[in-house]
Amino acid sequence: MDFGLSEEQELLFENLADLVEREWDEEAYNDCYYNKHCYPRDFIMKLQEAGFTMLGVPEEFGGTPVDTVTMVMFAKELARMTGASLPCASNAISIDDILSFGSPEQQRIVLDYVAQNGSAPFALGFSEPQAGSDSSGILTTATRKDGKVYISGHKTMVTDADTSPYLLCITKNLEEPVAFKAMSMWLVPMDAPGVRLEPLHKIGLRTSGFHEVYLENVELPESSLLGVEGAGFMQLMKNFEIERLMLVAIGVGMAEAAFEEVARYANYREQFGKPLGQFQLIQEKITDMAIKLENMKNIIFKTAWEKDNGRSVQIGSALAKRYCAMASFEVLDEAMQIMGGMGYTEESRISRMWLDARHLRIAGGTDEIMVHIAGRAILKNYK
Amino acid sequence: MNVVACVKVVPDDQDLTVSPDYTLDFDRARPSISTYDLNAVEEGVRLVEDNGGSLKVLTVGDSSIDDSKLKKNILSRGADDLLMVADEDMKAMDAHQTACALKAALAKIDSYDLILCGDGSADLYAQQVGAQLGQLLGIPVINCVSKITVENGAVIAERTLEHEVEILEIPMPAVISVTSDINLPRIAGMKQILAAGKKPAVVLRATDLEYAALATIEVLETLAPKETDRKHIIIEGDSDEAIAAFIANVAKVI
Repeated sequence: MDFGLSEEQELLFENLADLVEREWDEEAYNDCYYNKHCYPRDFIMKLQEAGFTMLGVPEEFGGTPVDTVTMVMFAKELARMTGASLPCASNAISIDDILSFGSPEQQRIVLDYVAQNGSAPFALGFSEPQAGSDSSGILTTATRKDGKVYISGHKTMVTDADTSPYLLCITKNLEEPVAFKAMSMWLVPMDAPGVRLEPLHKIGLRTSGFHEVYLENVELPESSLLGVEGAGFMQLMKNFEIERLMLVAIGVGMAEAAFEEVARYANYREQFGKPLGQFQLIQEKITDMAIKLENMKNIIFKTAWEKDNGRSVQIGSALAKRYCAMASFEVLDEAMQIMGGMGYTEESRISRMWLDARHLRIAGGTDEIMVHIAGRAILKNYK
Repeated sequence: MNVVACVKVVPDDQDLTVSPDYTLDFDRARPSISTYDLNAVEEGVRLVEDNGGSLKVLTVGDSSIDDSKLKKNILSRGADDLLMVADEDMKAMDAHQTACALKAALAKIDSYDLILCGDGSADLYAQQVGAQLGQLLGIPVINCVSKITVENGAVIAERTLEHEVEILEIPMPAVISVTSDINLPRIAGMKQILAAGKKPAVVLRATDLEYAALATIEVLETLAPKETDRKHIIIEGDSDEAIAAFIANVAKVI
């Protein structure tokens, strides 16, 4: 087995490291995170200028196609180098639905926005108060009258709803009994009459907004439909396995950043007359953290490799999502423990990563939903 | 205009280790582009973007520089092609030998209007190669250049000196050494990295060139400074006596 990087991958990460060293401003990011609650736009635009936000996007759309392994590594490395959760590494996955199923006009909207902002122009409106893990239970509808479409419903926990020009809104035909044939996708302008936001306040991931989105008879032209009517669920699920890998890759990167920081800290921080690292209780923590990091990297990269080699990742992506969401948080929690009181303050980035990583056990399918996916599929293989 | 940017390949200083006998261990150090030469490449890219033409990178060194990743690294920075002379006979050349080798390699290039060098090399930093190369070629040569524009077939170069900015107009071809603040070298993205592997890279041996230059210096040894333990001398306060004691201690070390 070859665990080495290609020359191109090495150069990619060396250039990323140069960019992070040159452009990453921890103080400015903390100001975005704790005070302004805004996207670190200046840094994201530097990633954009170097083409990093278009990694994995097909060439005909101005991107640089790379394999899944490289994309997952890139997401992990960006999080490791910055100690921050920056979803722009996953733009290729976010915008793939639009590039694959959208009209030329919808494609243009997305590509222009990414070029100018380094991020996708829409927030995903899927979850509803009564439909979280049970996503088939959504009740938002699209009805037609006089050649127009009217969207009504209530979306919740919508990330970036306040800063995105569009809502990628999933509606359901309540008369269609088969859930996966009942859903449709619409690009709803956030400034359309009838769209109203109410903020929710997350404890972590504070550079992005989080909102309830109320949609009251929001009038749209037919051209707002994305892809095929009734195929919304299938369109949304096109990349969900890779989406999960990309999501937890950020957690793995943050856990690695914290690990590297506290390993150094344990070497110079002295208590009881000697460095922390000379206490076996600390050595045990460092060792178990290292084991978890190895396991996490192995499972995400191997699953990505399986995807690149045409193998099913139905089980693998669920295993990786469940394991890495839990283990990355455990590593960050132990990092905080080694840092002691200072690790629990906003002076240390470990507390920020700890807050951010906790969401991975919930977002993109909870730990429990991953069991629901993997458990049944594994047992089925042994029938 | 056709621009040639000269680049030195040096061991990556992040991978250098000091052996117990204070000699430097280069075993784990991969070849990398000398930092200051990235400014020369970037300026070449910018001049070609503004004025048309092409940018060639030229490098000479021992056989270890014929490294696939290094070649991709160089070409991902925006050059159109690479001419490399890699030969064990060119190991650890001094500035004069390097300038002679570059002159011989330039004879293999059809035409050039401008030759760009960095401020100095990241390892020796003698700041000699650009000046000697211009002399050997018999063409105008200037250093410390912090801005370059091209007007009516001539180069307008700004030199930032201690008390003044000197603006010179010089005819081409010419050799110009640029300062490290003339530009900010661009970060190579994946598109440029992937494209670099497809760009032309010609590798020659010393015997392909008309080149002979004897070493003018002999290096006896290169040693890292010996480390000493911290003395933990603490001088309290900011009185004249305390400052005098501080200076006396610093003077002992120097």
